[in-house]
Amino acid sequence: MVLKTELCRFSGAKIYPGKGIRFVRGDSQVFLFANSKCKRYFHNRLKPSKLTWTAMYRKQHKKDIAAEAVKKRRRTTKKPYSRSIVGATLEVIQKKRTEKPEVRDAAREAALREIKERIKKTKDEKKAKKAELMSKQQKTQSKGNMPKGAAPKGPKLGGGGGKR
Amino acid sequence: MCIRVIGASNRRYAHIGDVIVAVIKEAVPNTPLERSEVIRAVIVRTCKELKRDNGMIIRYDDNAAVVIDQEGNPKGTRIFGAIARELRQLNFTKIVSLAPEVL
Repeated sequence: MVLKTELCRFSGAKIYPGKGIRFVRGDSQVFLFANSKCKRYFHNRLKPSKLTWTAMYRKQHKKDIAAEAVKKRRRTTKKPYSRSIVGATLEVIQKKRTEKPEVRDAAREAALREIKERIKKTKDEKKAKKAELMSKQQKTQSKGNMPKGAAPKGPKLGGGGGKR
Repeated sequence: MCIRVIGASNRRYAHIGDVIVAVIKEAVPNTPLERSEVIRAVIVRTCKELKRDNGMIIRYDDNAAVVIDQEGNPKGTRIFGAIARELRQLNFTKIVSLAPEVL
Protein backbone atom coordinates (compact mmCIF):
# COMPACT_ATOMS: atom_id res chain seq x y z
CA MET A 1 0.00 0.00 0.00
CA VAL A 2 1.32 3.35 -0.95
CA LEU A 3 0.46 5.17 2.21
CA LYS A 4 3.61 7.05 2.98
CA THR A 5 2.70 10.13 4.95
CA GLU A 6 5.07 13.02 4.67
CA LEU A 7 5.68 15.78 7.12
CA CYS A 8 4.70 19.37 6.65
CA ARG A 9 7.74 21.59 6.57
CA PHE A 10 6.03 24.32 8.42
CA SER A 11 3.84 22.75 11.06
CA GLY A 12 5.21 19.23 11.28
CA ALA A 13 1.81 17.68 10.63
CA LYS A 14 1.37 14.49 8.65
CA ILE A 15 0.45 14.89 5.01
CA TYR A 16 -1.58 12.03 3.58
CA PRO A 17 -1.41 11.27 -0.13
CA GLY A 18 -3.64 13.52 -2.16
CA LYS A 19 -3.45 16.36 0.31
CA GLY A 20 -1.19 19.30 0.69
CA ILE A 21 0.79 21.52 -1.61
CA ARG A 22 4.34 21.15 -2.77
CA PHE A 23 6.35 24.26 -3.42
CA VAL A 24 9.64 24.25 -5.33
CA ARG A 25 11.71 27.30 -4.62
CA GLY A 26 14.07 28.95 -7.08
CA ASP A 27 17.06 27.09 -5.67
CA SER A 28 15.26 23.75 -6.23
CA GLN A 29 14.51 23.25 -2.57
CA VAL A 30 11.18 21.52 -2.01
CA PHE A 31 8.75 22.53 0.70
CA LEU A 32 5.73 20.49 1.64
CA PHE A 33 2.73 22.15 3.23
CA ALA A 34 -0.19 20.39 4.84
CA ASN A 35 -2.73 23.02 3.89
CA SER A 36 -3.02 26.54 2.61
CA LYS A 37 -2.71 27.92 6.13
CA CYS A 38 0.85 26.67 6.42
CA LYS A 39 1.55 27.73 2.88
CA ARG A 40 0.23 31.20 3.51
CA TYR A 41 2.21 31.66 6.68
CA PHE A 42 5.33 30.47 4.96
CA HIS A 43 4.96 32.92 2.13
CA ASN A 44 4.26 35.72 4.60
CA ARG A 45 7.57 34.84 6.24
CA LEU A 46 6.21 33.88 9.64
CA LYS A 47 8.44 31.73 11.76
CA PRO A 48 7.04 28.34 12.83
CA SER A 49 9.10 28.45 15.99
CA LYS A 50 7.01 31.40 17.11
CA LEU A 51 3.61 29.83 16.50
CA THR A 52 2.39 27.79 19.42
CA TRP A 53 0.60 25.14 17.42
CA THR A 54 3.56 24.02 15.29
CA ALA A 55 5.81 21.06 16.05
CA MET A 56 8.88 23.27 15.90
CA TYR A 57 7.58 25.47 18.67
CA ARG A 58 6.80 22.47 20.85
CA LYS A 59 10.21 21.05 20.33
CA GLN A 60 11.91 24.31 21.10
CA HIS A 61 9.93 24.85 24.29
CA LYS A 62 10.35 21.20 25.28
CA LYS A 63 6.72 20.30 25.55
CA ASP A 64 5.91 16.63 26.00
CA ILE A 65 9.46 15.40 25.59
CA ALA A 66 10.02 13.82 29.05
CA ALA A 67 8.48 10.49 28.04
CA GLU A 68 10.70 10.10 25.00
CA ALA A 69 13.91 10.94 26.82
CA VAL A 70 13.41 8.20 29.39
CA LYS A 71 13.10 5.50 26.78
CA LYS A 72 16.29 6.24 24.96
CA ARG A 73 18.78 5.26 27.63
CA ARG A 74 18.52 1.51 27.28
CA ARG A 75 21.30 0.09 25.17
CA THR A 76 22.22 -3.58 24.99
CA THR A 77 25.57 -4.53 26.43
CA LYS A 78 27.72 -7.08 24.70
CA LYS A 79 27.94 -10.29 26.59
CA PRO A 80 31.31 -12.06 26.54
CA TYR A 81 30.81 -15.12 24.41
CA SER A 82 33.26 -17.98 24.58
CA ARG A 83 33.82 -20.46 21.81
CA SER A 84 36.49 -22.99 20.99
CA ILE A 85 39.29 -22.13 18.61
CA VAL A 86 41.87 -24.13 16.77
CA GLY A 87 44.40 -25.32 19.29
CA ALA A 88 42.18 -25.24 22.37
CA THR A 89 38.73 -26.66 22.73
CA LEU A 90 36.08 -24.92 24.83
CA GLU A 91 36.73 -27.13 27.85
CA VAL A 92 40.43 -26.41 27.83
CA ILE A 93 39.78 -22.66 27.62
CA GLN A 94 37.29 -22.79 30.47
CA LYS A 95 39.57 -24.90 32.61
CA LYS A 96 42.41 -22.49 32.14
CA ARG A 97 40.15 -19.57 32.91
CA THR A 98 38.96 -21.07 36.19
CA GLU A 99 42.43 -22.05 37.36
CA LYS A 100 43.22 -20.45 40.64
CA PRO A 101 46.25 -18.15 40.79
CA GLU A 102 47.99 -20.46 43.29
CA VAL A 103 47.61 -23.39 40.97
CA ARG A 104 48.98 -21.33 38.11
CA ASP A 105 51.96 -20.20 40.19
CA ALA A 106 52.67 -23.73 41.27
CA ALA A 107 52.58 -24.88 37.66
CA ARG A 108 54.92 -22.07 36.62
CA GLU A 109 57.34 -22.87 39.37
CA ALA A 110 57.35 -26.51 38.49
CA ALA A 111 58.17 -25.68 34.89
CA LEU A 112 61.00 -23.35 35.94
CA ARG A 113 62.42 -25.97 38.24
CA GLU A 114 62.37 -28.47 35.44
CA ILE A 115 64.26 -26.14 33.16
CA LYS A 116 66.81 -25.41 35.86
CA GLU A 117 67.35 -29.07 36.47
CA ARG A 118 67.81 -29.68 32.81
CA ILE A 119 70.40 -26.95 32.54
CA LYS A 120 72.20 -28.29 35.58
CA LYS A 121 72.23 -31.74 34.13
CA THR A 122 73.79 -30.62 30.90
CA LYS A 123 76.31 -28.51 32.74
CA ASP A 124 77.30 -31.48 34.84
CA GLU A 125 77.59 -33.56 31.74
CA LYS A 126 79.83 -30.98 30.17
CA LYS A 127 82.02 -30.82 33.23
CA ALA A 128 82.28 -34.56 33.36
CA LYS A 129 83.22 -34.72 29.72
CA LYS A 130 85.85 -32.05 30.12
CA ALA A 131 87.37 -33.80 33.09
CA GLU A 132 87.46 -36.99 31.11
CA LEU A 133 89.18 -35.26 28.21
CA MET A 134 91.80 -33.67 30.41
CA SER A 135 92.58 -36.97 32.00
CA LYS A 136 92.75 -38.65 28.63
CA GLN A 137 95.07 -35.99 27.22
CA GLN A 138 97.41 -36.36 30.10
CA LYS A 139 97.56 -40.03 29.52
CA THR A 140 98.06 -40.01 25.75
CA GLN A 141 99.60 -36.88 24.25
CA SER A 142 99.86 -38.24 20.73
CA LYS A 143 96.25 -39.10 20.47
CA GLY A 144 95.21 -35.65 21.72
CA ASN A 145 94.08 -34.27 18.35
CA MET A 146 91.23 -36.59 17.70
CA PRO A 147 89.44 -36.23 21.06
CA LYS A 148 90.03 -32.51 20.83
CA GLY A 149 88.19 -32.45 17.55
CA ALA A 150 85.29 -34.31 19.17
CA ALA A 151 85.22 -32.22 22.37
CA PRO A 152 84.22 -28.83 20.88
CA LYS A 153 81.22 -30.53 19.33
CA GLY A 154 80.09 -31.99 22.67
CA PRO A 155 79.71 -28.78 24.74
CA LYS A 156 77.91 -26.99 21.96
CA LEU A 157 75.26 -29.66 21.69
CA GLY A 158 74.75 -29.69 25.47
CA GLY A 159 74.43 -25.90 25.50
CA GLY A 160 71.77 -25.90 22.82
CA GLY A 161 69.67 -28.52 24.63
CA GLY A 162 69.87 -26.72 27.97
CA LYS A 163 68.68 -23.37 26.62
CA ARG A 164 65.56 -24.90 25.25
CA MET B 1 7.65 36.67 -24.68
CA CYS B 2 4.97 34.26 -25.71
CA ILE B 3 3.23 34.81 -29.00
CA ARG B 4 1.16 31.73 -29.42
CA VAL B 5 0.36 28.47 -27.74
CA ILE B 6 0.75 25.50 -30.05
CA GLY B 7 -1.87 22.83 -29.92
CA ALA B 8 -5.23 24.43 -30.52
CA SER B 9 -6.44 27.39 -32.46
CA ASN B 10 -7.78 29.51 -29.65
CA ARG B 11 -5.90 28.26 -26.66
CA ARG B 12 -5.70 30.78 -23.90
CA TYR B 13 -3.05 29.58 -21.54
CA ALA B 14 -0.12 27.26 -21.72
CA HIS B 15 0.81 24.88 -18.94
CA ILE B 16 3.80 22.74 -18.16
CA GLY B 17 4.62 20.64 -21.15
CA ASP B 18 3.04 22.87 -23.78
CA VAL B 19 5.01 24.19 -26.71
CA ILE B 20 4.77 27.89 -27.36
CA VAL B 21 5.97 30.24 -30.03
CA ALA B 22 7.91 33.06 -28.48
CA VAL B 23 10.07 36.00 -29.36
CA ILE B 24 13.30 36.79 -27.57
CA LYS B 25 13.16 40.08 -25.77
CA GLU B 26 16.51 39.94 -24.04
CA ALA B 27 19.56 37.94 -24.91
CA VAL B 28 22.93 37.38 -23.34
CA PRO B 29 25.63 38.45 -25.82
CA ASN B 30 27.72 35.88 -27.68
CA THR B 31 25.04 33.22 -27.87
CA PRO B 32 23.56 31.65 -31.01
CA LEU B 33 20.19 33.26 -30.22
CA GLU B 34 19.65 36.94 -30.68
CA ARG B 35 17.10 39.48 -29.70
CA SER B 36 13.82 39.58 -31.63
CA GLU B 37 14.22 36.07 -32.93
CA VAL B 38 11.08 33.96 -33.14
CA ILE B 39 11.60 30.56 -31.55
CA ARG B 40 9.70 27.62 -30.12
CA ALA B 41 9.95 26.66 -26.50
CA VAL B 42 8.48 24.15 -24.12
CA ILE B 43 7.33 25.29 -20.71
CA VAL B 44 9.00 23.50 -17.80
CA ARG B 45 8.08 25.54 -14.73
CA THR B 46 5.10 27.66 -13.88
CA CYS B 47 4.04 29.67 -10.92
CA LYS B 48 0.56 28.32 -11.48
CA GLU B 49 0.11 24.98 -9.72
CA LEU B 50 0.42 21.77 -11.60
CA LYS B 51 -2.09 19.15 -10.52
CA ARG B 52 -1.15 15.53 -10.78
CA ASP B 53 -3.41 12.51 -10.93
CA ASN B 54 -2.38 11.30 -7.51
CA GLY B 55 -3.56 14.54 -5.96
CA MET B 56 -0.12 16.10 -5.69
CA ILE B 57 0.03 19.81 -6.35
CA ILE B 58 3.31 21.37 -7.37
CA ARG B 59 4.01 25.01 -7.57
CA TYR B 60 7.26 26.51 -8.75
CA ASP B 61 8.69 29.86 -7.92
CA ASP B 62 9.11 31.12 -11.46
CA ASN B 63 8.01 30.60 -15.05
CA ALA B 64 10.57 28.97 -17.27
CA ALA B 65 10.81 27.44 -20.73
CA VAL B 66 13.43 25.61 -22.73
CA VAL B 67 14.12 26.66 -26.28
CA ILE B 68 13.63 23.79 -28.70
CA ASP B 69 13.75 23.18 -32.40
CA GLN B 70 11.06 21.70 -34.61
CA GLU B 71 11.67 18.13 -33.50
CA GLY B 72 11.57 18.87 -29.80
CA ASN B 73 15.29 18.70 -29.04
CA PRO B 74 16.67 21.50 -26.93
CA LYS B 75 18.81 23.97 -28.76
CA GLY B 76 21.13 24.46 -25.83
CA THR B 77 23.34 22.04 -23.93
CA ARG B 78 22.50 22.84 -20.32
CA ILE B 79 19.35 23.26 -18.32
CA PHE B 80 19.06 25.07 -15.03
CA GLY B 81 16.60 24.41 -12.26
CA ALA B 82 14.13 21.65 -11.53
CA ILE B 83 11.91 20.11 -14.18
CA ALA B 84 8.49 18.57 -13.84
CA ARG B 85 8.14 14.85 -14.41
CA GLU B 86 5.36 15.34 -16.92
CA LEU B 87 7.86 16.17 -19.62
CA ARG B 88 9.05 12.59 -19.74
CA GLN B 89 5.63 11.37 -20.76
CA LEU B 90 5.48 14.00 -23.47
CA ASN B 91 8.65 12.65 -25.08
CA PHE B 92 10.98 15.45 -24.10
CA THR B 93 13.50 12.89 -22.95
CA LYS B 94 16.57 14.88 -23.82
CA ILE B 95 15.45 17.77 -21.67
CA VAL B 96 14.66 15.45 -18.79
CA SER B 97 18.06 13.81 -19.00
CA LEU B 98 19.85 17.15 -18.97
CA ALA B 99 17.90 18.48 -16.03
CA PRO B 100 19.70 18.68 -12.69
CA GLU B 101 16.57 17.66 -10.81
CA VAL B 102 13.26 16.17 -11.84
CA LEU B 103 10.43 16.70 -9.43
